[in-house]
Amino acid sequence: MEFAIVSTLNGVTYGLLLFMVSAGLTLIFGMMGVLNFAHASFYMLGAYVAYAVSSAFGFLAGLVVAPILVGIVGMLVERFLLPRVHAHGHAHELLLTFGLALIIEELIKLFFGDFPVNYQMPGDLRFSAFTIFGSDYPFYRLFIGGMAVVMFALLWLLLTRTRTGIVVRAAERLPAMAEALGHNIPVVFMAVFGTGAALAGLAGAVAGAFYPTNPNMGIELGVIVFVVVVVGGLGSLKGSLLASLLIGLFSSFAVGLDWSLAGLFGLVGLGDWARAIGGLMTLKLSSVSATIPFALMLLVLLVRPAGLMGERN
Amino acid sequence: MHRLAFLAAASAVALAAPAQAEPLKIGIIESLSGAQTSTGRLYANAVEYGVDQINKAGGFNGEPVQVTEYDNAGGAPEAADKFRQAVADGVDIIFQGASSAIAGQLTEDVRKHNIRNAGHEVMFINLGGEAMELTGEKCQFYHFRFTTTAPMRVNALVNAMKADGDLGTKVYSINQNYSWGQDMQKAVEAAADTGGYEVVGEVLHDVNKIQDFAPFVARIKAAAPDTVFTGNWSNDLLLLMKATGDAGLDVTFATAFLDQPGNIANAGKTAIGHYIANNYDNAASDGKFAEDYKAATGHYPIFVEGHSAFALAQLKQALDTLDFGGGEIDVTKIALALEDSTYDSPVGPSSVRKADHQTIRPVVVSKVVENPKYPADDTDMGFQTVKVVPGEDAIYPVQDSCQMKRPGE
Amino acid sequence: MGSMRILALLAVLLALLIAVPPFLDLSWQNALVNVLIASLFALAFNLLAGQAGLLSFGHAAYFGIGAFAALHLMIAVEDGLAFPTPLLPLAGAAAGFLAGLVAGYFATMRSGVYFALVTLAIAELLHSLAPHLAGTFGGEAGISSMRMPWQGIVFGSMLEVYYLTLGWVMLCGLGLWAYTRTPFGRLTLALRDNEQRVLFLGYDAHRAKVVVFAISAMASGVAGSLLAISNETANYSLFATDVSAQVVLQTFVGGSTVFFGPVIGATLFTLFSFLISDLTRSWVFYQGLIFVLVMLFAPTGIGGILYELVRHRRQLDWSRLAWPALQSILGGLLLAGGIVYLTETAAVLFGQDYAMRRSGAAGALPPYELFGIGWEPAGVLTWLLPAVLLLGGGGLLVAGRRQIDGVRGRRSAPAADAAPLGGTP
Repeated sequence: MEFAIVSTLNGVTYGLLLFMVSAGLTLIFGMMGVLNFAHASFYMLGAYVAYAVSSAFGFLAGLVVAPILVGIVGMLVERFLLPRVHAHGHAHELLLTFGLALIIEELIKLFFGDFPVNYQMPGDLRFSAFTIFGSDYPFYRLFIGGMAVVMFALLWLLLTRTRTGIVVRAAERLPAMAEALGHNIPVVFMAVFGTGAALAGLAGAVAGAFYPTNPNMGIELGVIVFVVVVVGGLGSLKGSLLASLLIGLFSSFAVGLDWSLAGLFGLVGLGDWARAIGGLMTLKLSSVSATIPFALMLLVLLVRPAGLMGERN
Repeated sequence: MHRLAFLAAASAVALAAPAQAEPLKIGIIESLSGAQTSTGRLYANAVEYGVDQINKAGGFNGEPVQVTEYDNAGGAPEAADKFRQAVADGVDIIFQGASSAIAGQLTEDVRKHNIRNAGHEVMFINLGGEAMELTGEKCQFYHFRFTTTAPMRVNALVNAMKADGDLGTKVYSINQNYSWGQDMQKAVEAAADTGGYEVVGEVLHDVNKIQDFAPFVARIKAAAPDTVFTGNWSNDLLLLMKATGDAGLDVTFATAFLDQPGNIANAGKTAIGHYIANNYDNAASDGKFAEDYKAATGHYPIFVEGHSAFALAQLKQALDTLDFGGGEIDVTKIALALEDSTYDSPVGPSSVRKADHQTIRPVVVSKVVENPKYPADDTDMGFQTVKVVPGEDAIYPVQDSCQMKRPGE
Repeated sequence: MGSMRILALLAVLLALLIAVPPFLDLSWQNALVNVLIASLFALAFNLLAGQAGLLSFGHAAYFGIGAFAALHLMIAVEDGLAFPTPLLPLAGAAAGFLAGLVAGYFATMRSGVYFALVTLAIAELLHSLAPHLAGTFGGEAGISSMRMPWQGIVFGSMLEVYYLTLGWVMLCGLGLWAYTRTPFGRLTLALRDNEQRVLFLGYDAHRAKVVVFAISAMASGVAGSLLAISNETANYSLFATDVSAQVVLQTFVGGSTVFFGPVIGATLFTLFSFLISDLTRSWVFYQGLIFVLVMLFAPTGIGGILYELVRHRRQLDWSRLAWPALQSILGGLLLAGGIVYLTETAAVLFGQDYAMRRSGAAGALPPYELFGIGWEPAGVLTWLLPAVLLLGGGGLLVAGRRQIDGVRGRRSAPAADAAPLGGTP
């Protein structure tokens, strides 16, 4: 029971962090059809900007400046770079953002060095929220989770309940029609891309203070974020949330479970045979927990490519 | 090699100089780009420093020793490629430290090269590849390991922590799921009797892919250990320690790579009281080497820089016993001389075990404290020496799998 | 350009590739081996990406599988199996083909971005599982073997490896080229341009795609096995995203719309890393920058531009174009100089060594050395130079381009032959 409760708690907060990073990616893909490979780089950029700003003006300033600055970078990319390749199709957009990811990572190494930088949350936030089964639960984890929930709520309300949201969705479905009705579609797209990037920047600023801020953080989280977005359904905000939580919980529970295929065969009396084969059969779930998300992604792509909550199929 | 510069220099030399002595050429094949750049850079720094020392003392064979950096981008296939380039540039001795996988690739490349090019051998000085197989199944005459291995680190930790009363009777082992982590896990199991502890749990996890260590901490907590042994490095160590600190779990960590730059600063006060066993720490020496290093490079030696510089110093000693009279350099003779050398490093003597070319070397056990003599990462924390375990106590028997073929056999 | 002329050009190239290497030093021979392997890999990749319009982000999987297969056979040969060493890549081809059939069957159920993601997931899955399966992939240290002599050829020297590689790359390269000339090769292009029509013509599009995928994987497997032969080891890092990414970069910089475009990209990038990677720590940055610039300003790649130039060589007014072209090139070079200068300066000023020296100099900005010259961080020249380079170069380039556009009557580059990707799952 203790295992289940603690794992659930950890899984949910980690899942919410994943959601925070993937929300922007989902937004951009859902609205514009651009799969932004540089998204995780925006996340990393956010952490570094927040680090640079916070070391001079304090943690809160970093939290405010990072999303704004990263959002501006995003808008510049959308305004000046993407249109140049748009005519060549989505593949070229994908490739362009892929190149941008490389450049951002190398620039960060150039200016901040290869080592992790010392980006810390302020001492006031470093306390335990409550104690569960004898171990403390850090407040900051709840803070990250809370931010994610607020982010989801705001985005969802914005998209479904406001006029702006209706315009944005109209722009996505029928850009020509929306434009004919007098809406400035290029500005809408730029705003959407900027918001998506800003969300990644904010996630970086918040999470960078909890996890190490280093030049690899983009790559490390990047692939997982892709998994989340694909599993949830490209473009579906609710799907992203669901997939984030699923993968968060899964990673959390897998650690505690020394299951293997051989064990599974053991249930039907073939355990020794499976163990004799070795290889895949005897791999423990806990030691390959980082592999499972990819398998999950593959499965979803093949069985239900629109993802768990995707609308388009 | 800066090939463009090399081309220009070579043609200039060809035009200008009459018969010149053959210089000793050293190649550093390191991770100078990619994820492990930070560590690769430090190995390269230290080797450059060591070569400078040799050259200040007059070089070798009547010429300054030449040193060239090759970027293996952190991958074994690229390292194989750079090895061939190094051979093309006429390199005699290869140095490498970051990653056992790359060390494994290089030692195999060196072995094959030497079989095919008798008389033009290359030797490989391994500064950081700690996988047991490098002095086990893959052991060979032209490979020398100038660092510790898992049993050496674990035995030293057990020894020092027990004497200090910090070991406890229940030990947990959490390691990365590859040869180094598996070696650590085995070493922790093997030392249970001498340490008088019980291994209450062990886990192997993916290497540098885990973002959230809270579930692992929950698992550790359930086992209620006194001490947690881990060979984790980079993010895996940092995240693990942070998660443990956040959970308020009261355990002592026994680590191998806590001194990696950025770790102490990132871990913050959580780091205090944890142990590390490594090759060298400034606080364990009389400080003379540290000052010399700082005078030359601008900073105190950190992480792997110290012991890497000693490897060059030991090589220098071996070179001092040789004289090729300005003629052709015989790498086999250098290797034989290195086998016989004993170097008095600032933390104790180091010598080469002939049977498997593992160095018998002291292991320094330290503890993180506040206000140390040499603060780490610009913080007010750093390492305080607990015990320097001499080489003969830390060493383990030669592995049965090592069947070394000596030259001329 | 007629195919006869292409063949003549290839024959000259081949003669050079055969005749020159014995006179090169070892490091250039080695670099050429890498160029050849990268070229074959890029050609194989482009069969899928450029011709079938299926952008794979996980081609490292088939490259790596080929390498491991060849190495396992090599180990068997070392243990006494009578198999000719030069034919080792057959193992890579077979393994690549089989893996391609299986992976391709699933991957080609999707198209566009979804296809890219499926291939990415397959490669990532392999990459994260491989180190745990020590029996097949040898743990993180990988497996290794040694090339065995065959018919008096020792395969010990780099030159022998070079000729072996050259033979296989030529064979496969020409094979792939010949393939595009077959009716089925034509069908591949049709798959890219209009899948609907292929269906209406009565072909099974999915089956056709699987076959193309498998052929591409087979050639990738040969490339991988050539690397395994040259390195004599294979390691799970062959499955890494970097490997998949490199081939994408090389192919698109070289030009995916022209058959031999990827070879240009592969040659350029391989030589670039050979010459530059030990010279500056920022070489990955330059690589990324080149890629992005090519994507932005020459989406058809270098090969695409060359092809356009050659095709329109008679219509173009060379006498009026020469000067602006020269001006643009000069401008581009100045601009590149400015960017390199700024990047390297930043690398020094923000580097660890400089920070150490600054703390030693009590906060003052000590001078530093770069390109063999001493610089003052606060000096006027230090910052005037890049400003002049960037502005001057940029000005020249823009002016040159404008004139060229003027001469060519603002005929914009054809964008119609791009792959229609993105679409529906």
